[in-house]
Amino acid sequence: MEKSKKITDQTRRKFIKQVAIGGGLTIALGNLSFTFISDEKNPLLKKKVIICDFSICAGCKTCEISCSAYNFKNLAGKQTFGLVNPKHTNIKVHQFNPALDIPATCAGCPDTPCVNACPITINQETGEKALYVKEGTMAIAVHEDKCIGCGLCAKACETERVGVIRRNKETGKPEGLCTYCDGDPSCVKNCPYGALSYVTVDTEYEFFGKSPEEIAKILTERFYGV
Amino acid sequence: MIKMENNFGTILDINLTTRKIQKIKLAPEDIKNFMGGRGLGMKILYDRIKPGQNPFAEDTPLIFMPGTFSGLPIPSASRTCIVTKSPHTSPKKAKYEHSSTVSYSNMGGFIGPEIKFAGYEGIVVTGKSPFPVYLKIEDDNVEIVDAGKFWGMPTDEFDKEFDKELKHEFQTCYIGKAGENQVSYACIISKASKTAGRAGTGAVMGSKNLKAIAVRGTKMPNVANPEKFMKLIDDARIFFKDRTQTQWWRDYGTAGALKPSSDAGSMAVKNYREGTFPDIVNYDAETARQKIWKRNYACYTCHLSCKKSGVVSEGRFKGTIVHDSPEYETGTMLGANLLLTNINDVMKAIYDGDNYGLDIISLGNTIGFLIEAKEKNLIDKDFLDGIDLKWNDIDSVLALIEKIAKREGIGELASKGVKVLSEKIGKGSDEFAMHVKGHELAAWNVHVNSGTGISYATANRGACHLNGKNVEGQNGNALKDSLAICFFATGWGGYDEQQLVDFVNAITGSNWTKEDFFKTGERIFNLEKMLNYREGFTAKDDVLPERFFKEPLTVGEKKGAVLNRKEWEQKMKDYYTERGWDIKTSKPKDETLKKLNLDFLV
Repeated sequence: MEKSKKITDQTRRKFIKQVAIGGGLTIALGNLSFTFISDEKNPLLKKKVIICDFSICAGCKTCEISCSAYNFKNLAGKQTFGLVNPKHTNIKVHQFNPALDIPATCAGCPDTPCVNACPITINQETGEKALYVKEGTMAIAVHEDKCIGCGLCAKACETERVGVIRRNKETGKPEGLCTYCDGDPSCVKNCPYGALSYVTVDTEYEFFGKSPEEIAKILTERFYGV
Repeated sequence: MIKMENNFGTILDINLTTRKIQKIKLAPEDIKNFMGGRGLGMKILYDRIKPGQNPFAEDTPLIFMPGTFSGLPIPSASRTCIVTKSPHTSPKKAKYEHSSTVSYSNMGGFIGPEIKFAGYEGIVVTGKSPFPVYLKIEDDNVEIVDAGKFWGMPTDEFDKEFDKELKHEFQTCYIGKAGENQVSYACIISKASKTAGRAGTGAVMGSKNLKAIAVRGTKMPNVANPEKFMKLIDDARIFFKDRTQTQWWRDYGTAGALKPSSDAGSMAVKNYREGTFPDIVNYDAETARQKIWKRNYACYTCHLSCKKSGVVSEGRFKGTIVHDSPEYETGTMLGANLLLTNINDVMKAIYDGDNYGLDIISLGNTIGFLIEAKEKNLIDKDFLDGIDLKWNDIDSVLALIEKIAKREGIGELASKGVKVLSEKIGKGSDEFAMHVKGHELAAWNVHVNSGTGISYATANRGACHLNGKNVEGQNGNALKDSLAICFFATGWGGYDEQQLVDFVNAITGSNWTKEDFFKTGERIFNLEKMLNYREGFTAKDDVLPERFFKEPLTVGEKKGAVLNRKEWEQKMKDYYTERGWDIKTSKPKDETLKKLNLDFLV
């Protein structure tokens, strides 16, 4: 918990700095207007995200499969019909020895280190960079036409948070961004164990923003005493 | 880039001697007749071995087969079948120096689907590398990589180190010291817990100097009728949600059978002398849940999570990681069969067996046999290199496990299993050497259940509890092994045959009925049988150890139970008749083979 708080503070400081440079920037999101400096007004604090009860998760990868079926309906210009390969998914189950399975997906960080890292100039009309917060689900999404594939978002996510953003091998553009399946996440719906839930983000949650490796370290000690 | 072609039909062929790597298209007829997994693997084996071939010969293929369902999102389609020629079996009258049965062994986990994602129907490894290697397969890129630094590494440590080396992106399977040393009942392990335990596949892998296989695939298999297929997937997910059996698997796993089996007198106790073990309550599922287990975990797409991991929390073995135990087979074979009473002792014995990469079933038999031989003064302490082997004694058990994995001293002989041991010891010890065709019995006793006896006596890899208790069951199981669907998700409240047939039709576009389902299984079973028959296995090899006919149970509610020889002989005759096999020799009749499109075997 300490670590994620520390990271949040760091990122916030970085953000304040950015804002200072930008001259008190306000970001428009739909008809909402807010600044990141004042957390209480940050609508991302009310964002719903996917969290996992690691004591229930059995690591069957049905979440990956369901995600792949919903979010990758077309691959290589062909319809997939719900057939899947868990490589093409926005939730990834990390497997550990001793047996632990940690499904990792976007933590829904209210301070969006990934968006902050995006170097693309903000569009004055939309208030959006190449990486932006979508209306409705508040999912992080990418304007493919604006993204230059620099990988800074993936790096920010990896060094500061969960590390879910991966770069397309050919274009370098971000992949693995959770879409929340437009508000009804397939992974949550199809989890045979009921381990996943779609709930309002809680930055105080023990595992908020932690990487699968960090979580595994904690749980390996808790479950197996090693 | 992503490929979505229907990749059914391509196998990856790797020769470790010449280092030649090829992609070979299989004949469409073979896929139609044998599907995938065990069946198709068996056809590939048939095409590539000569009668009497030495399993350890360079050109013996080691075949890793996912199945028809692998790589598709079908719940519990997680299995991988490894097919080769057995290094562990032999007939009573050998036709060739290296006469042995077919070998097939099946494991869960994630690697089968991954092989399919990489675009292959299977991986065939032949040849022998001059130094230890592993295979790194990433879609079309295949590398043979030096594994010198991993050779000799215990499986648990290797699982972690190898995963690091591969940057956590691959699914793997591998052997331990036992496989490296070609212990004839060495196994192949995946994820430190899923083992293709039986029939010596790990020994063949070791003979090729192949430590491991790592696979990563980004493609996906196609199906003939996607709409129908996805409807079946939705139905299957609801189907498993509603089953009370689903919760049973989650709560207990196969360990849930420990106490009921003991109560029913059907457990392997004291080298199969008894069928009931009152002390089993010390490590049945309820006790394990309290003392050991921390998590339930699953194989790919599975709703059952029958696997249980945990840790030993007290005593001298405190801190021993439990990857998946006790489950029914391991808990019985290295528990009740050796009369061990302490849960922590059993966990440690299983851990060591897995860590060396030994088949726990054959291992438990071998130790049980030697304890009994010593108790009966047929062998002494010197024969055992000074190990004071006895019932319920963990230290001597652990000492022997180490000797076997290293093939040191008594371990050299014991590494060949109970048949070879009993031939060496003589003095009537064959009556309690619990094997069929050299392959040790599994954890189910036969005194109270002659159906289990049929399963053991007629299995094509030698004694096997997963073979099936009757002809129809065996044919069905042979096909399930070929589809790569888990047995735990079929029968007993799982998929019925019609559900599996529906999946087959949606995937392949064929119009199978249940009759086709069983007939295809029957074809596979008969192909295996013919491979065995040409090695010299006849009806004389389809026999059970004498113990079941001569020594009635003395403990428990089933006290007095024993097999009736006359009834048994009639049962076998009925079995051969139903199979369309000659009653005297057990050879499949020509008309039987023709009926099954196996004309090439006539």
